[in-house]
Amino acid sequence: MKEILMSAVLISALIFCCWGSSQAQPIENELYLITPVSKDVHDPVLRAFEQYAKKKWNIDVKTSAIPKGTPVAYGQILEWKGNPQADIFWGGEGILFDDLAAQGLLEKVQLPQAVWDEIPASIGKPVPLPIKDPKGFWVGTMLEPYGIIYQPKLLKRLGVEIKDWDDLLNPKLKGQIAQCTPDRSSSSHATCEVILQTYGWEKGWEWLTKLAANTGIFTARSRDVPNVVAKGEFAVGFGVPSYMAFAEVLGGYELMYVYPTNAYVTPEPMAVLKGAPHAKAAHAFIEFMISEEGQKLISELGVYPITPKFKVQGPPGSNQEKAVAFTGGVRSFFDIPVGNVYDVTLAGEKKRVEEVNSYFRKEITEKHQDIVKDK
Amino acid sequence: MELPSTGLTTSFGTLVGRRRQIGGLLGYAGIWAFMAIFLIYPLIRLFYDAFTTNEEAFTLMNFYDFFTDSYYLQALVNSLLLGIATVITTSVIGITFAFLLLRYEFPFRNLFSFLSIIPMIMPPLVGVMGFVFILGRAGTVNVILMDYLGFTKPINFMYGIHGVLLVETLHLFPLMTLSIVDAMGKISPSLDEAAESVGSRGLRKFWDITFPLTTPGYVSGALLVFIWTFADFATPLVVGIDNLLASQAYLNIVQFVDRRLFKMGIVISAIMILLAILFLIVAKRYVAMKDYSSLSYTVIERRKLSRAGRVGVIIFLSAVLVFAFIPYLGIILDSFGRGWALTPIPVKYTLQYFQRVAIETPKFILNSLLYSGITVLICIIIGVPIAWVMARTQLPGRDLLDSLTTLILALPGTGIGIAYLRAFREPFPFTTTALIGMWIVIPLVLGVRRLPYTVRGTFASLQIVHKSFEEAAESVGARRTTTFKDVTLPLIWKGVLVGSLYSFILALQEASATLLLVVPGHEMMPVGIFNFYIGGSVNEAAALGLILIVLGATCLFAINKITGTKMGGVFG
Repeated sequence: MKEILMSAVLISALIFCCWGSSQAQPIENELYLITPVSKDVHDPVLRAFEQYAKKKWNIDVKTSAIPKGTPVAYGQILEWKGNPQADIFWGGEGILFDDLAAQGLLEKVQLPQAVWDEIPASIGKPVPLPIKDPKGFWVGTMLEPYGIIYQPKLLKRLGVEIKDWDDLLNPKLKGQIAQCTPDRSSSSHATCEVILQTYGWEKGWEWLTKLAANTGIFTARSRDVPNVVAKGEFAVGFGVPSYMAFAEVLGGYELMYVYPTNAYVTPEPMAVLKGAPHAKAAHAFIEFMISEEGQKLISELGVYPITPKFKVQGPPGSNQEKAVAFTGGVRSFFDIPVGNVYDVTLAGEKKRVEEVNSYFRKEITEKHQDIVKDK
Repeated sequence: MELPSTGLTTSFGTLVGRRRQIGGLLGYAGIWAFMAIFLIYPLIRLFYDAFTTNEEAFTLMNFYDFFTDSYYLQALVNSLLLGIATVITTSVIGITFAFLLLRYEFPFRNLFSFLSIIPMIMPPLVGVMGFVFILGRAGTVNVILMDYLGFTKPINFMYGIHGVLLVETLHLFPLMTLSIVDAMGKISPSLDEAAESVGSRGLRKFWDITFPLTTPGYVSGALLVFIWTFADFATPLVVGIDNLLASQAYLNIVQFVDRRLFKMGIVISAIMILLAILFLIVAKRYVAMKDYSSLSYTVIERRKLSRAGRVGVIIFLSAVLVFAFIPYLGIILDSFGRGWALTPIPVKYTLQYFQRVAIETPKFILNSLLYSGITVLICIIIGVPIAWVMARTQLPGRDLLDSLTTLILALPGTGIGIAYLRAFREPFPFTTTALIGMWIVIPLVLGVRRLPYTVRGTFASLQIVHKSFEEAAESVGARRTTTFKDVTLPLIWKGVLVGSLYSFILALQEASATLLLVVPGHEMMPVGIFNFYIGGSVNEAAALGLILIVLGATCLFAINKITGTKMGGVFG
């Protein structure tokens, strides 16, 4: 009798469970990102996810992104105080994600163990750069260098060739360089750090001041840099994420890319915000990004897969092949030597970030007119 | 609202009257509640933040930091100088235009008069983008100079403070023209004749008659131009200028990370609002609505011009307008041209950008129309009663209402956006959503920002309708509501409509406050333009800009049809 009762309870519990889970949606029908990754990449990825969700669960997911520079996005998440209006934070420097995780504002990533293990822990020598969080709060989604771009026609007219950082100090480039400022853009910040850590603090600032003497514009946002160079308003762009420049190429503009020595390579971390209104959709989105489908999609956009398993490869004339030509033949960042001097533990510390930003503001942005006059 | 109580009033009548009186007072209280919550409270909150530390202790250090930082002081000086310079340039062009259009007869006068208002329709960012496409270092003009005329270096038209001045001047001179046309239209020719009959002519007459009578219109036009330039942060950023107050406010306030910079953003906004209030007090004598002496437009006899004069006038007007229309040309070319760089005009053309902004993501256009529509409703519901109270009653507080609505005109959008951001960030009780997370905040802030146009339009019309019409209706027993519906409304609807259309156009174009308050998924067109632009999709930004311009021009055309040549008034 007791057993019958038990099994009856079990069976009804089972039925209840199945019924319950078939009632609850596998994912919510909305998804919002807050991201410094520009429209060129976040838009196609969101579209693809909508189709993926439709196919897999027959759910129409409404997606949208709040485009914000990394520091601003980070600040916005703090401002939300655990009641975020977005589900996912995507892009920028890993250290900011660590900081958010320490404040309890991130959820752990929920990827199958096998998928998680396929992603290497770090990339680059002599200093290894983590591309996933050992504690599991964020995961890298793609690899992308912050390099130099130029408008070939204008450069030819000026009679200048650019192979590495130091070529930017050529006096012929006076007024021709476009860059953002480190407090407005993380790619700009990381690139300044690369310079500071390559040359040392004193020499590094001297170098950046000389660069400022050649600079014609400090743009409001990092995405403006490839934009004004593609248009031909300025000849050279400094500290530009590869995909942003490649987007201009896909848009029909003429641009060339240089991957200079020790240029910073970002894994574009992704994390689910604690208290996300659409957490299930958010986790599904991360899984989609790391999947073959997701990685193939991003390889058409001028960035590189996060695992050695996938390479940028496509039929002749495809966007993949255009991207490979654009960055000078790179198919995977795991195939080539990646120089890295960028020390996260040094550069990422809050005090150091503020020090670099305010030094740049006080000594370079605010004195720009004088610097240009003096040189 | 004092009701006429005659000896005939029955006790029933008094009862109804009292009930109506209570209803009216409740409505009046409602208006005040709206103003208190959505205008006064956010401003107080902003000042509270500016005068406290992050730990909410009172401090003057924030202001000390501002006034001892040479960079911020430079930004303050630059902003003031830029504002003054723009007032001067727009005055020269605007007054000349107004004078020519009003006083002289020449071919295509009506066409010129319509065309000269169009440049006002220029959403933020779009104007400067258009200019850069044509006059930038790689713009059409420089490409022609370098490729065909042998120049070795591009001429720098745009990058620098002079570029900002160029953009603002050609965008804002119509405001000045409108204000002057409006003011001059109100000068009765009999005054002119009287002056002439006692021997006052030429400059003397201008100095004695025309000048003092147009001053109020001019001052309010100048104030609007000044504040507009003062509050614009998008234009300077595109041409690489950031040592201006509005740019610093914007750049600092989006720096949530560095709490000190964030605080400085708030402090700068507070300083901008304080300055705006200061300018308003200085200009108060001229811009208060009560001072409207007469609103009936008089027919001005226009002088015929000599042949040379006609040609000269047409050449002058065309030249200015060609410059003012440069951004439209740039925007049109860029919204259809693919991969346009370093050629005078694009070599490949496409419709893909329009498809993307209008068909694939129609939300920008739909949201814009919806929210601007709600904005107009708010303007009418709050604004028409305010105008009526000011024109027809002696209620206590109406002077303050007048000052408040005028104050709104002077408030920089960036400042009010930041004030809202601070004031409405706490979630409602028992929920997790705050007002700044809901889309309704957008039409609300727009409603407040555009209220003065509706109030002024309605007020101006009410002034023309003589009170005796209403009294006549009431004397034969019509209720107040009936009187309003049957007598007043038919007479003032044009004014209300024109004021509302202006509110609509300006709500469509607003981006300074809404950019800071944008709610994901509920972006309006100017925010879309901004997002496309900073997202690198300049062509899409241009396409959306062009759609917005066409919408605005349509509304302006409608206003022109409704009012004939008598535009203005709402700006006065």
